[in-house]
Amino acid sequence: MVSRRGFLKGGGLAMFGIGIGGVPTFMARAANSSKQFSPYKKKKVLVCIFQRGAMDGLMAVTPFTDTYLQAARPTLFMSAAKDSKTTPLIDLDGKFGLHPGMKSFESMFRSKQLAIVHGIGSPNNTRSHFDAQDYMESGTPFDKGTGSGWLNRAVGLMGHDATPFRAVSLTSSMPRSFYGDNPSIAINNLQDFAIQLKGNPMGANMAAKSFEDLYDQTSSGLLKETGKESFDAVKMLKKFDVRNYKPENNVVYTATALGNALKQVAQLIKMDVGLEVAFAESGGWDTHFNQGTELGVFARNANDLSGSITAFWNDMGSTYQDDVTLMTMTEFGRTVHQNGTGGTDHGRASCNFILGNDVNGGTVYNNMKPLAVENLEDGRDLPVTTDFRSVFSEVADKHLKINNDKVLFPGWNGSKIGVMRT
Amino acid sequence: MQNRIRQVAKLLIFSASFFLLSFFQIPTYKQHFSFPYKKAGLTEREAAAHLLNRFTYGATPGQIDEVVNMGLEKWFEQQLNGTLADDSLNQKLSGYDALKLSNEQIANAFPKPGQILRMAVKDGKVDKDSVKTDKKEYREQLQAYMQQNNLRPQQELFRQFINQKVLRAAYSNNQLQEMLTDFWFNHFNVSITKNDCAQFIPDYERDVIRPNVFGKFENLLLGTAKSPAMLLYLDNFSSSGENTNASLQQNQKLRQMIPQKQEGMMTDSAQKNQLKKLQNAKKAQGLNENYAREVMELHTLGVDGGYTQQDVTQAARVLTGWTIYPMGDNGWGNAIKKVIEKFGEDKLSEHGFVHEGDFLFAINRHDNKEKTVLGKNFAANGGYEEGVQLLKMLAHHPSTAKFICKKIAVRFVSDNPPQSLIDKMAKTFTEKDGDIKEVLITMATAPEFWNKEVIRAKTKSPFELAISAVRALNVDIKQPYQIFVWADKMGQKMYFYQAPTGFPDKGQYWINTGALLNRMNFGLAIASQRIAGTKLDLLSLNNRHEPESATAALLTYGKLIMPERNLDETVKRLTPMLNDPELVKKINDAADKNTAPQTSMVNNGVVMNDPDSYRDDDGVGNKGGKGLKGLKKGNNTLQTVAGNNSMLSQVVGIIIGSPEFQRK
Repeated sequence: MVSRRGFLKGGGLAMFGIGIGGVPTFMARAANSSKQFSPYKKKKVLVCIFQRGAMDGLMAVTPFTDTYLQAARPTLFMSAAKDSKTTPLIDLDGKFGLHPGMKSFESMFRSKQLAIVHGIGSPNNTRSHFDAQDYMESGTPFDKGTGSGWLNRAVGLMGHDATPFRAVSLTSSMPRSFYGDNPSIAINNLQDFAIQLKGNPMGANMAAKSFEDLYDQTSSGLLKETGKESFDAVKMLKKFDVRNYKPENNVVYTATALGNALKQVAQLIKMDVGLEVAFAESGGWDTHFNQGTELGVFARNANDLSGSITAFWNDMGSTYQDDVTLMTMTEFGRTVHQNGTGGTDHGRASCNFILGNDVNGGTVYNNMKPLAVENLEDGRDLPVTTDFRSVFSEVADKHLKINNDKVLFPGWNGSKIGVMRT
Repeated sequence: MQNRIRQVAKLLIFSASFFLLSFFQIPTYKQHFSFPYKKAGLTEREAAAHLLNRFTYGATPGQIDEVVNMGLEKWFEQQLNGTLADDSLNQKLSGYDALKLSNEQIANAFPKPGQILRMAVKDGKVDKDSVKTDKKEYREQLQAYMQQNNLRPQQELFRQFINQKVLRAAYSNNQLQEMLTDFWFNHFNVSITKNDCAQFIPDYERDVIRPNVFGKFENLLLGTAKSPAMLLYLDNFSSSGENTNASLQQNQKLRQMIPQKQEGMMTDSAQKNQLKKLQNAKKAQGLNENYAREVMELHTLGVDGGYTQQDVTQAARVLTGWTIYPMGDNGWGNAIKKVIEKFGEDKLSEHGFVHEGDFLFAINRHDNKEKTVLGKNFAANGGYEEGVQLLKMLAHHPSTAKFICKKIAVRFVSDNPPQSLIDKMAKTFTEKDGDIKEVLITMATAPEFWNKEVIRAKTKSPFELAISAVRALNVDIKQPYQIFVWADKMGQKMYFYQAPTGFPDKGQYWINTGALLNRMNFGLAIASQRIAGTKLDLLSLNNRHEPESATAALLTYGKLIMPERNLDETVKRLTPMLNDPELVKKINDAADKNTAPQTSMVNNGVVMNDPDSYRDDDGVGNKGGKGLKGLKKGNNTLQTVAGNNSMLSQVVGIIIGSPEFQRK
């Protein structure tokens, strides 16, 4: 029997190619409900969310018994005490409290699917957003010259058959994490995956064929490669009704950029088009000004982040949860002291969230000392006690079975922290 | 006698020089540079095409001939002056009233949504509880209130601003000025996504960026540092330190005040609590490092320019007190107003305050102790001048020369410009006191600029692609906003880039699978007039000669749209398909069946002439292609495309979406 993958890679793909009008109805019927006709068997998928702007880890997951923190943040410190007039933090383990905006994370934490790593960050102490993101996404904190992103290298190391959907970023532009030689896709909206000429499908088909030819012969390597990926992707998505997606378990995604992105990640996972790494972004974490506590900018962001992730997880349901690990990341944390404008400035360590059935959850991994000045980096910031590469490489190793740290994180040979099950 | 001879000689010399002068004045153009394109093996026409590719938003039909006839150097010199008449553009812009307003007038006429609500509640015109309960009633109340008080929605301001961007890029004769305005805006990026600074962005571009794009770098740096848009975008407006000066200490209370940022609508006690907390926080003094860091990392030295965290903190202290003068009737800067009242407006400078336009140096909030930045000592009590000195020092730092020149070369030459070119430019930058015009001349007269390797090596950004298509096809844009919406769809939402880095300037950033498909779709859409509010006449581009066949159309229009390029391979690839008569017939039939007669929506003035997309896009921060609905509705306004022409527009659409047209 011809494997589906072989079938597709061989001439089979042409059957769905541009130039043949319409989609075979049996394919359309199969698309949403069943995996029967899917070209790729289920794969392990890593979903990464980059929180751009540097999340205040000390507000997301607060060491609420720390009196130094309380003193350093006269108006931003939140308590876990239930008797206060304000909404309390969610007490996770007697030491750390989850921001109430992230309430939906609680049950996943309790069921040990969600782990939190506190004090995570980069050994490079740059406090520039751009640089820190660049280092984290390239995976080489002291080497600016690294052209590729760590997730692109991860895709290469898995070395599975080429499908245009191996690495998909639900952003309008390609994130740094995806830079590199392995084909990857950036798209805001899956519905845009077509050559469109409204009211004239024949014209659209002809144009698509023309474009495919032209991009195939161009002397610009960048345009040629991207062109090829584009047309492969169009052909594959043609079979699916992406417009009328119905999430499982009556899940309703939040109408935010992140919610929308994760919804489309869910769609791609269920289509079995070969997705292995997905990427989405969450913005607005650069809270220099009026950060707020249980309400305000931070709370809104926290709500969006946790709400979108929880919706995604429930949508995955029992069928897919085993295959998916989700991890958040942010370029650095924020100052222990609040600044003069009700916010916090650029700091060092933050925290991140890892969700999945392979995760050793229910724990806040940390080496946090009391936040007295002498315990702070440069006397001001939560020091980095866990190199982000320890966590990223462990997740890649255990979930995606990539164990070549020399390629994934060149120049690094630290140890892992046991955040994933063995 | 001798005297006489001398006199005659003088006279002779005088008249001779007069003669010579007049001789030279009339026929020749004084040009002090020349382009070495011949050495690089380019013809004059190829060189003109390259110039237009790099220093304009794309050549218009026949423009290569114009440049060749005028002389390439003269054309460039003219562009460097940026003083060509722009009557037809000005005519198009004349209806945009908001673009003429000052920041203060804008603050009064276009308050932020939260501000309007607060005012309405305060005036008893809106019941604040209805915000929660009855959305419709509340909206009506609010609208009525806005009308009564001549308040206008901010989206309208942004829409006018965005429209002018599109129109200027497409139609200005001073193309280089527009390219540079775009470049420097992006270099000193501010973003509409940050609501606090958004309303001041039109003024920022108009008065701070555009007038300075050919001048000294230092002026741009100082101008941006003092502008409300930048002060708010990078938070410096709120950064304050302790002033130990005795005369100011009497105003201890006032010293502690920092400008009030308007709070959102407070509806319940938790929020009131919150507000109180925040107000307390404000009373504490606060250093904010955001601007100090970015001014070194992004605006001047570059991240490897040799500064430390210590320098950032010290620079932030130097810049404490740099803030915004209170403006508008709607409560902006109430706290500062009190400070000013206390000291007396006319006595401000006596106390060391500096008030220039919208800028205020509030000495009461300035850290007056000694500082050291990059090894330079700033003695105590330096006041406003130490900030100026700091910025001038940064503007003239050797790292800045390299960093800025590389960035200019990346924009105008190639994604990886040769170091030899950057060095030449940096030398000019240093020797000519940061004179941008001189740096551009050095760049354009360097052999590296004309090297065959860099010809067409740059990838157009989405906005550049859209505008270059408009220019190449002589499109008449009635609804500029639709061009913005398409650029967004292709990956570049103008004025909404959130990070202070501005849009990256690399082909790799723009070209990815999704964006590329949208570029192709854009080509098809614009050529077939399926973008609302665009008008074009493809036949007139070819003197109304209708091509005899699809292949002929490809040949003719390929040359018109992409002059001076080798299109042999393109033609060879497409010809077999274009010659299929069945296909051509089917396409024309389908087009005829689906095109509706043109219904004009362009009759109610310049500003609001695209009501569909106006409703669809709230102008601020809403991502996710919300505005794209406008495109779909826009299809109702399709113009009739006569039978044969649908094949022509199809061919032109393919040319616009082709890989060659993505390059410049």
